[in-house]
Amino acid sequence: MTRSNPPSPAPPIRAEAPILENRHDGGQNHRLVLRVEGWPGFEPGQFVMLSPGAVAAAPRSDPLLPRPMAVYRERRGGAAAEIEILYKVHGRGTALLAEALPGQVLRLVGPLGQGFALPAPNERALLVAGGTGIASVYELAARLRGSSPVAVLLGARSENDLMGVADFERLGVEVRIATEDGSRGVRGQVTELLGAALAEGAPARVYTCGPTPMMRRCAEMAAEGGAACVASLENTMACGFGVCLGCAAPLAAGGFALVCRDGPMFDASEIAWDGLP
Amino acid sequence: MSVDTAVQLGGIALRNPVLTASGTFGYGTEFAPFLDLTLIGGFVAKSLTLKPRFGNPPPRIAEAASGMLNAISLENVGVEAFIAEKLPAIPDGVTVVASIFETEIDGYAEVCKRLAGVDRVAGIEVNASCPHVKSGGIEFGQDPAVLARLVRAVRSATAGPLLVKLSPNVTSIAEMARVCEGEGADGISLINAVQGLEVDVETRRPVLANGLGGLSGPAIRPIALRMVWQASQAVSIPICGIGGIETAEDALKFLLCGATAVQVGTINYLNPAAAGEVAEGMARWAEERGVGRLGDLVGALEVPGR
Repeated sequence: MTRSNPPSPAPPIRAEAPILENRHDGGQNHRLVLRVEGWPGFEPGQFVMLSPGAVAAAPRSDPLLPRPMAVYRERRGGAAAEIEILYKVHGRGTALLAEALPGQVLRLVGPLGQGFALPAPNERALLVAGGTGIASVYELAARLRGSSPVAVLLGARSENDLMGVADFERLGVEVRIATEDGSRGVRGQVTELLGAALAEGAPARVYTCGPTPMMRRCAEMAAEGGAACVASLENTMACGFGVCLGCAAPLAAGGFALVCRDGPMFDASEIAWDGLP
Repeated sequence: MSVDTAVQLGGIALRNPVLTASGTFGYGTEFAPFLDLTLIGGFVAKSLTLKPRFGNPPPRIAEAASGMLNAISLENVGVEAFIAEKLPAIPDGVTVVASIFETEIDGYAEVCKRLAGVDRVAGIEVNASCPHVKSGGIEFGQDPAVLARLVRAVRSATAGPLLVKLSPNVTSIAEMARVCEGEGADGISLINAVQGLEVDVETRRPVLANGLGGLSGPAIRPIALRMVWQASQAVSIPICGIGGIETAEDALKFLLCGATAVQVGTINYLNPAAAGEVAEGMARWAEERGVGRLGDLVGALEVPGR
């Protein structure tokens, strides 16, 4: 169970955000930096909805829907903050996003979603992330270090698919890496790293973000190891702020929660994992 | 010159012709960070059932070309929670239209009765695009005889403004419009979502867990405009036009085709301030062209040869 109330997030804003930087960062990774006037700050795990591509004078009808993107980092000072987003191109929306140029404007709604629950005083935080999920846990690592022991476990198919490793290392937190092809770190799945970390014995809280089968496996391992587990879920979204009801996640107790409004972070034991797409 | 934007929609007085569509605007408070609702004509709340209802398993939505498909299946908090919790949270000065649906005609009448006495509810919109279990799952709005019985039943349940939201999944929208007028509806809203399907070639299955879904967004705008125009030729009761409105210009097209007011829907998801921008844009367009009253545009479409 979560041990303390998550901080109450600031209300979201809608902004036309100029692109400061949008560059290819190796493999399929891209790094986007936006200036967002009126940005209220964000809690780890929160996300924004971004227009698929630059906004122009005439509305673009296709692709229509905004895309949810985890907020990776922010730089604040003065009225306009800069926020940074790491993403991979995997569909039409992200492909268009990758073509947007500095100076062009994206429509942004955010920050969206709830804050996260802190580990208990004696708990070690194990952050387990795979693929694009890595972008969701950076700020969590930054906030927790200094107040809790933190280990960041990152996994990807190969070295090229990893994101932000140097950023995590600069945080000064312990980073362990697994790649399926062994091109960096241990050869294998990131869940194997979790197994080893849990076996080290100290009380732990697992925070996981990545492909659903990976998170489900982390939840099972955490439960077996007597550790709490928080999973950052994803689901197809249209609005991102609790209105379209599209991002429903089935609950073990019956019914549904909304990933955008009630999450994205959930106590893993509350989720009906079988019913997640 | 200041433009007169006020309209009367079947007995509901609106400060301007822009409403937001049921299912795209929650229960009225979700958009508070983005839009002052006193700047638009009002909103239509998420469709209500007698008891709280959970929707379909995910995936419930899928993007489609210039639109989206949804199979939410009308998840809602139920009429009692709406009256007790949601209504009081809506700021003063915001016009609220309730939307209702049920699986049986008696159920519709019950929900309608429950809302009929509530002060804060300016009108009731009947969602006729729901599967009628007794008809084997076709929509109430797809069968004129069933639609007639439905409208008759809710008409007896409320003396207040009653709109019927029509399904586009029909052969003749004019026929359905006439049924509603004949049974005493104060107005009709059209269109609801168009039945559609999206497929995943790798899994060889529909993308939505439910299979079929309702298509909405800019893709359906030409269908909606055509149906509004056809309905306006068939009935005298006012029409609320819905379907893929993105801009003030789109909204004005609906007025020209015979709609007294419009509902902005899917666009709310990508631009939560859109309804306000549409309302403001309509007034500005009219002012720039010397149109003194938005109401003067209703049905002003000139069709050569007619």
